[in-house]
Amino acid sequence: MVAVVNKSTFSKVFWPVLAWTVAIVFFFPIFWMVLTSFKTDADAVKPEYLIVFTPTLENYLNMIENYDFWRFAKNSVITSLFATAFTLFVGVPAAYAMAFNPSRHTKDILIWMLSTKMLPAAAVLYPMTFLTKNILGLFDTHFLIIIVLSLINLPIVIWMLFTYFKEIPKEIIEAGKMDGVSIWGEIKDIVLPLAWGGLASTALLCFIFCWNEAYWTVRLTTIDAATLSKLIEGNRAPEGLFFGRLSAVSTAAVGPIVVLGWFCQKQLVQGLTFGAVK
Amino acid sequence: MSQRTLPRLMQTPAVLLLLVWMLVPLGMTIFFSFIRYVLNNLRKPEWTTPNIDNWRGFGNYEYVLYKSKDFWFAVQNSVFIVGSIIVLTVALGLAIAVLINRSFPGRGMVRVLLISPFFVMPAVNAVLWINMLLDPVLGLNGLIVNGLNGVIDGLRDFPLLGNFFSFWPELQPISFRATQTSAYAVIVMVTWQWTPFAILIFMTSLQSEDQQQKEAAILDGASAWSQFVNLTIPHLARPIAIVIMIQAIFHLSLYAEIEIVSRGNGNKNLPYLIGEFASNNIGAASATGIFAVILANIVAIFLLRIIGKSLMD
Repeated sequence: MVAVVNKSTFSKVFWPVLAWTVAIVFFFPIFWMVLTSFKTDADAVKPEYLIVFTPTLENYLNMIENYDFWRFAKNSVITSLFATAFTLFVGVPAAYAMAFNPSRHTKDILIWMLSTKMLPAAAVLYPMTFLTKNILGLFDTHFLIIIVLSLINLPIVIWMLFTYFKEIPKEIIEAGKMDGVSIWGEIKDIVLPLAWGGLASTALLCFIFCWNEAYWTVRLTTIDAATLSKLIEGNRAPEGLFFGRLSAVSTAAVGPIVVLGWFCQKQLVQGLTFGAVK
Repeated sequence: MSQRTLPRLMQTPAVLLLLVWMLVPLGMTIFFSFIRYVLNNLRKPEWTTPNIDNWRGFGNYEYVLYKSKDFWFAVQNSVFIVGSIIVLTVALGLAIAVLINRSFPGRGMVRVLLISPFFVMPAVNAVLWINMLLDPVLGLNGLIVNGLNGVIDGLRDFPLLGNFFSFWPELQPISFRATQTSAYAVIVMVTWQWTPFAILIFMTSLQSEDQQQKEAAILDGASAWSQFVNLTIPHLARPIAIVIMIQAIFHLSLYAEIEIVSRGNGNKNLPYLIGEFASNNIGAASATGIFAVILANIVAIFLLRIIGKSLMD
């Protein structure tokens, strides 16, 4: 942080050790969950097996056999993937138009889009249930969850893409126009190659948000389209008799996403602060 | 096609979708909040379908404000939970961001470890904390207190020193399943999840801090603390404001955590109260929903203003 001329040995050792300690404390619950997932349910609550125990895969096998894990996982993958694809399909053209052909309303539109994100979901809980159950007949379908996840994430995706597109120098586009490149050619040959990294991390982040969503995916599904959030919420085991199983399901549900998340730390800042922190 | 039509066409689907998404359900909520609408009522079956004839004016709002004893508690609890989370995450986030904003061995790994909680699914977060970490008997909470009691017991057998320890009471683990303590549990778990977010944003912002100014301050003999207060904090003013407001908006709609930690034990916030009403009294649920929208909008207006300012530069 500071270009101090004489760094004392104390601060050379103390601060890094403190930083590592804090990091380990923060990571501990995740570590604990992964560790417990390899203990039997009986061992998981015994102090003598806190650290040293005989690891077992029993919980993971059990999870697949008795919890119907794959169905929930498959639903999570399907809904998150398609929602991400659809969000990009709608979001890329919109962000493109706003970044390269802004009108005097562009700013207002962007702000308004963001404001839709700030409505508390609970306020429209019943209307959504009513609409999807009684009128549209879409309750508990993949289609519904995909659309809802897309709409939730569309403002964030458009904002992130907008910030990326804005950083592409306008001159390049102008040069393309002079050469008579069509607007599709512009997107395909000029913008996409330049914004590729941004696009990929936007997609990744959108996928993570879809995967972790726990309000609508729980409220608007029963069985057919139920995702992992629903599985966890349904098995919140009030007393700790199932720590091993619970940990296995939890580890399987969050593991891949945490690892994916490591790859888009930087984009997270832009995505979550809507470009206001750089 | 003219130069301006195509760009407009390209943003139309997004605008239309969001417009429908925003207006239709919200419009229905507003409508329901002004009519008598319950899901089960044998005496008045006509109230069980949404109908303009059941117009109740501000009756639902009055009911929620004056007759239901839970509303003010829920508002208070929402504000308490959100406020505590914000104070803790900002304080911890600042301290940790400054701590790791230097080069040391394994810094990349430390960052990875620190950011991880943010990607954990909220439902898993809640289940993990309330059962495996905070449970007073079987969780780590109980195990640690038991262990400490064991150590104290052992010390009692020592000559002389044992007399001192025999005065110690048996330690009791805190249970996080009562109304008040389960609010603390929610605060702890959400703080754990969102401190990484604060760290990440403060760290990004710290990297753009003016180093020359810092060096000048050091040459002038400014202490580390006064550098932090006079240079770093003002530099971080906007990120701090943004972290506060984004969290306020997200946490005002906190649901999964409350649902899992405190179902039925009285620890409720606004979204949870809406959920409770929605099991029968849709009118009251809708009126409460409108209050929640108003509360969220108070914060949103400030946030949108800051974002709007930084949008075009």
